[in-house]
Amino acid sequence: MWTDKQNQTLILILDELIPANEKAGVPAAGALGVADFFPAATPYAPDPVQSITGILKAVDDKIPDFAKLPRAEKIALLKDVETRHAADFATLVRLTYMGYYSRSDVRPMFGVGPHPVQPKGYDVARESNELMDSLTAPVRARGQVFRDV
Amino acid sequence: MKNEPVDVLIVGAGASGAAIAWSLLETRMRILCLEQGPHLADKDFPSRDDDYELSRYGKFSCDPNVRGLKQDYPINADDSCIMPVNFNAVGGSTINFLGHWPRMKPSDFKTKTLDGVADDWPVDYATLSPFYDMNDQTTGVSGLACNPAYPKYSPPLPPIPIGKLGQTLAKGFNEMGWHWWPSDVSILSEDYDGRQKCVNAGTCDLGCAAGAKGGTNFTYWPMLENAGVELRTECRVREIMVDQDTGMATGVIYHGPDGQVHEQKAELVIVACNGVGTPRLLLNSKSKMFPDGLANRSGMVGKNLMFHPLTGVTGVFDEPMKGHEGPMACSILSQEFYETDATRGFVRGYGLHSGRSTTPMTYALGGFGIDSPIPWGDEHRDVMDNVYPYIAGLTVVAEDLPEEHNCVTLDPNLSDSDGIPAPKITYRLGENSRKILKHGEERAKEILLAAGAKKILSKGNDIVWWRAGWHQMGTCRMGDDPNGSVVNGWGRSHDVKNLFIVDGSIFVTAGAVNPTSTIQALALYVGDSIKTNIETLFD
Ligand SMILES: Cc1cc2nc3c(=O)[nH]c(=O)nc-3n(C[C@H](O)[C@H](O)[C@H](O)COP(=O)(O)OP(=O)(O)OC[C@H]3O[C@@H](n4cnc5c(N)ncnc54)[C@H](O)[C@@H]3O)c2cc1C
Ligand code: SF4
Repeated sequence: MWTDKQNQTLILILDELIPANEKAGVPAAGALGVADFFPAATPYAPDPVQSITGILKAVDDKIPDFAKLPRAEKIALLKDVETRHAADFATLVRLTYMGYYSRSDVRPMFGVGPHPVQPKGYDVARESNELMDSLTAPVRARGQVFRDV
Repeated sequence: MKNEPVDVLIVGAGASGAAIAWSLLETRMRILCLEQGPHLADKDFPSRDDDYELSRYGKFSCDPNVRGLKQDYPINADDSCIMPVNFNAVGGSTINFLGHWPRMKPSDFKTKTLDGVADDWPVDYATLSPFYDMNDQTTGVSGLACNPAYPKYSPPLPPIPIGKLGQTLAKGFNEMGWHWWPSDVSILSEDYDGRQKCVNAGTCDLGCAAGAKGGTNFTYWPMLENAGVELRTECRVREIMVDQDTGMATGVIYHGPDGQVHEQKAELVIVACNGVGTPRLLLNSKSKMFPDGLANRSGMVGKNLMFHPLTGVTGVFDEPMKGHEGPMACSILSQEFYETDATRGFVRGYGLHSGRSTTPMTYALGGFGIDSPIPWGDEHRDVMDNVYPYIAGLTVVAEDLPEEHNCVTLDPNLSDSDGIPAPKITYRLGENSRKILKHGEERAKEILLAAGAKKILSKGNDIVWWRAGWHQMGTCRMGDDPNGSVVNGWGRSHDVKNLFIVDGSIFVTAGAVNPTSTIQALALYVGDSIKTNIETLFD
């Protein structure tokens, strides 16, 4: 589908869309392998491969060796491509977020369980009657807030 | 497929279709329900998948244009700032609804008398009150009794946890001296009636695989099918037929799962296709007697479409709010600004809902009901690390007023997979709704700050949430005047005496609360009225 060079460029682009937080051990999107998500992303965009190929071509037309650019120039180039190819770039961003955050190994980095939410769910304790009473006491004390008709 | 005549034919197996079938069960009439969607097994709900969030943007999207399944009909919303959303299967939109269950209030039924706007309903709160109670019992509703925002009633189950997020916001409301209360929800806080309690999974829109949410696929339909109500799935009604001499409905023409067109005769036809699907069906049922669509001598079929326009404000707090844990839309609800106060510069009002928050993908893509991804690059990193885990938000849910130019018509070019013309929505936000949202946004900021938010995130424009046409009302309004309304005070068509409508399209006004508890209470009331008037039903 894409040449080795295109694949390499794609990974670098993804690393800029969702960069790593190295201190917290959160990987960047390219390094995590999000590119593998795109070919199967047809339920979420009409033609993901075509959109992404369009972006890769736009980048290549601007600079044949994206990898060699310093980071600030990579970002500037991507912003320029985003302006000129808004629809395809929006598809790339959207699918990158989908490919990244749908991974069960990523969710815990944001405080969310890795497991499918059913059947296990989450343990959330019901507030005690005492707590609920004290929280609602001022509301009850103020009395009726609906109009009599 | 046997097509023997039936006594009662219900079109649509969602919230209202199920409720009226249940009400009519005791009559021992032969009841058939035709539903365009399939029966979904709860094991197939996406919340059981590892990558569960993805389905929100594909086969389980609330937007029929995104899902594009055979049973869905496309909706042209190019001329609307809000996209109507739904689900088409046994359970209807209660498959993916969020289970928030507030009732309407006494004043909602009297807006003309009290505020000089819209019209009074031909029924009132006191009349519907026993039907709300009955429906709450059958559905399994959790909440805290003695809410000062309502005449007294008691939900059958204790409230679901409001969680850290709800407690934090409650303190903000208390600080401001404003009303709030734990939300009433059709979600089980305890095991109930053979159903399992909520496991706080937080993805109620992806179908509740626990069966804890009060979708009619879990509440009414199992009972109804056991009791002998016939439910024919994957059957899409194309047209309601009328005897051109008597003017009475004789049955329907529908497309079956075999790909064939069938005719089904019935003594009584009840339409329960939701606020967009119902006017669509009536407008598609043209005849010599009804050239502008069935039951449309008033010209009101499809008119006065109301949504609940929404906007949201988010606060960023010091500690993680764990917003993804617990039912998605439901924690606490403030009705401080619900009733009209002339000093505010608008009539009627709004609710402030604290939903919880969403899972990371949905947040990164802009939030539930919004299509506007957060920025990429270093800003993305910052938002996901330093904002997302710490947020709590309030949604402003505005009462929309009925305006004739907001309407459902038939699209001349678009059709569903059976070639039936699709609906087209024409809707613009009214000036009153715009003012309500602005007022609500300002109050929401004050509450979030009072609750301890360090930073406020709000859009700063007046664009309402796009994919948030969850509630579709008013398009076949009730009324005593046959020239200004489609059905009478108990859901019977003014023009066709054996045709009833029971979904949100018969609402006269929208209130500022989620509508389903009222839709079902109303359906039970219509069922009760049919039973009471059985001797003279068609007079
Ligand atoms: C994402 C989402 C969240 C929501 N959250 C809430 C909430 O928290 N609280 C609340 O009160 N409400 C909520 N709602 C709204 C709620 O789901 C609806 O108010 C309610 O389901 C409407 O009931 P109904 O019977 O009118 O229509 P539905 O429940 O939508 O049922 C209509 C049925 O009719 C069928 N149908 C339509 N046309 C035809 C035809 N021609 N032939 C055969 N069958 C047909 C459809 O397939 C469907 O099954 C939500 C809705 C959505 C989509
Ligand atoms: S949070 Fe509760 S109601 Fe919602 S899907 Fe999970 S179990 Fe069902």
